[in-house]
Amino acid sequence: MAVSRRRLLALGAGAAAGGFGPTGCGSQRTLGDPDEITLWTWDRSVSDELVARAETKGIPGAEGFRLSRTNIGGHFNTKVRTALAGKSLVPDIIGINSDVATYFPNQDVFVDLNDFGAAELKSRYLDWKWNECVTPEGRMIAFPMDTGPTGLFYRTDLLKEAGITTDPKELAARAPDWDGFIALGKELRKSQERAVICPNIHHVWSIRLGQLAGKFMTQDGRYIGDRDELREAFELAYRIGRDGLSAGAPEGSTDLYGVVTSGRQPVGIGAVWWGLAFPESAAPKTEGKWRVTDPPGGAGNVGGSFLAITKYSKNPEAAYKFITWLQSPENQVKAFTEMSLFPSSPRSFTRPEMREPRPFYGGQRTIEVFGPSARQVRTVYKSPYDRVMDPVFAAELANVESGKNVDTAWRDAQDTIERELTREGAI
Amino acid sequence: MGLADAPRGKAVKPRGSAAKPPPDGSRPLPGWRRYWPMYTAVSPFFILFAVFGVFPVGFSVYLSFMSWDGIGETRSIGWDNYAYLVTDSDFWQSIGNTLIIWILSTVPMVFLALVIAYALHTAVRFKAFYRVAYFVPNITSIVAMTLVLGSVFSDSSGLLNSALRAINSGGVGWLSDPWAMKVSVAAITIWRWVGYNAIICLAGLQAISSDVFEAAKVDGANNRQTFFRITLPMLRPVILFVAVTSTIGGLQLFTEPQVLFPVDDNGNVGGPGGEATTIVLYLYQQAFVFNRFGYGAAVGWALFLLIAVFSVINWRLIGGRDEDAIGTGKRKGKSRAR
Repeated sequence: MAVSRRRLLALGAGAAAGGFGPTGCGSQRTLGDPDEITLWTWDRSVSDELVARAETKGIPGAEGFRLSRTNIGGHFNTKVRTALAGKSLVPDIIGINSDVATYFPNQDVFVDLNDFGAAELKSRYLDWKWNECVTPEGRMIAFPMDTGPTGLFYRTDLLKEAGITTDPKELAARAPDWDGFIALGKELRKSQERAVICPNIHHVWSIRLGQLAGKFMTQDGRYIGDRDELREAFELAYRIGRDGLSAGAPEGSTDLYGVVTSGRQPVGIGAVWWGLAFPESAAPKTEGKWRVTDPPGGAGNVGGSFLAITKYSKNPEAAYKFITWLQSPENQVKAFTEMSLFPSSPRSFTRPEMREPRPFYGGQRTIEVFGPSARQVRTVYKSPYDRVMDPVFAAELANVESGKNVDTAWRDAQDTIERELTREGAI
Repeated sequence: MGLADAPRGKAVKPRGSAAKPPPDGSRPLPGWRRYWPMYTAVSPFFILFAVFGVFPVGFSVYLSFMSWDGIGETRSIGWDNYAYLVTDSDFWQSIGNTLIIWILSTVPMVFLALVIAYALHTAVRFKAFYRVAYFVPNITSIVAMTLVLGSVFSDSSGLLNSALRAINSGGVGWLSDPWAMKVSVAAITIWRWVGYNAIICLAGLQAISSDVFEAAKVDGANNRQTFFRITLPMLRPVILFVAVTSTIGGLQLFTEPQVLFPVDDNGNVGGPGGEATTIVLYLYQQAFVFNRFGYGAAVGWALFLLIAVFSVINWRLIGGRDEDAIGTGKRKGKSRAR
């Protein structure tokens, strides 16, 4: 049949309308081909090698399915939310950062991993990490990826100059708590006038917060962010600033790197990834001079991420197979050796690859610090409203750092939070 | 499938003209059959405009009366977003910041642009080179800017503070002191837009008849006199154009503060104390960091209102100035006649 001009135009218009209205006419809700399990992640969140294997050879345990990964650059959350809001072309699996609780109010857009027998695997993973994926209603909306147990990083050469022990065990014994850590900072001052122990006082707050057994809300939705424990943490941050032990470098600034690379901050508390992001990549010449030991004030966690299966998934079973394979203890080791993502499965800790001496840390087996640290982290309930409360404390601490009275700042933070929570309908 | 019908529906309109018989005497086709190919041909723009222009605007009005976290159900809350907006101190702070940064950047920028344009106009050699050189910052990648400017303005390891310390004048908290933060943002804005405005001013300068300059020369005016007595007054319309575009740009300032004070791990923007949070940055934070899309939309409409008010003020100023500039000169009669 010859296509008339009119028919051609009509076809064109129809195609255009079809293209513009993908949500309307019963079109595809999940991204990708029927035999493709689609995954959205950000850069350096999953092992590229393992993903490549699943992309070419198929997903182990789910025959006939292969993976298709997209690395979303920048504004990951916005793009994920846009896809979920549009309810069409949603990927099967999405990566979620440590703010997993933000998704609790919309838990029904994810499949409950318990339906696939996730409970059987619980013993393989760190309890506190596992619990972070479970909503107050008991749905498991995500699966553990990496974690961020904290340690105390220090430069041996600079400590030696100040006449301080460089042995990990002895140093940990010298600064078992924050007061000991402050004393250590003051001692460092004797050999290095401008030495600091943290980049800014908010950093102290967030590390201290990660060590406590609770955050801002209870699981049943009660606000507990005004308790004494937190007040003390707030004042601890203030004290460190007052004693001149903070560099006052704003979050996200180049100065954060500056204080580390210049040696102005010879000691620093940070999660595993801190070592990689700061000294290892920004100050490669200091190789061999760094060591790690137990952090003052106890173990804590900063960061870490998750994988979740959306309810739009064309085959949640296959998606589940992929996730559990990718995050199996053996494969978590792979992610660690490949890009220093610290495993959430303690079974990985004993593997030879994990126990290898690290040249950057003078041949120290850093797993001996981070392993026990990861096990000691306490289960903390993180609420969906943390995203509005965290910035309030951060902003007030920045004010304190630039001279605001600490009592006023604390009161203002509490007032603002009450207002914000009322507005969100949380209290 | 409503979109496919759109061209046909529109084609019905010009019925009146269809009544006239065509010159060849055949029976006239009904309007829509005669015109639909033309309407179809121009329809892509209107379809795209409806989908990506009209619909989002309408949707943002709808959203501003809703509470929506971006995934779940929207919940109608009436005027609550706007009521909260009025009492939101952060919002007012962002307006204050925006206006301060706008003044800090626009005034020196217009002045610099004029000076540069004048220099370019009178320069004899390498004119094209200078024009390109001044325009380059405007087209430079934002990512490159981030890397360079972050290290220039850093408080303790920045180039600027190192230079200041080298001459013993102490450092300035470019990224932590409330005023210095605004100055930093203004400085980037100036750096980025001064060349662009200089080119516009230059175009204005070149449109001025050389007779006037020659007459001034004959009368014995020196460079300074020529600049203030002739160049500036004749350039007034161009300067006002630059001022108006800078107002709109200034009120929508986003990239520069976002480059210097990115969203940190806690979702804060605009640096310590939010002292460099502009209105659009605040909108961005509320909608895309805190997932308050309804409130973000309301902030957007407040910004729209603000820009409308400033545009009216500017328009009034131009209207008034226009008469001053042209009406009092020798072209008085002409402008009246218009």
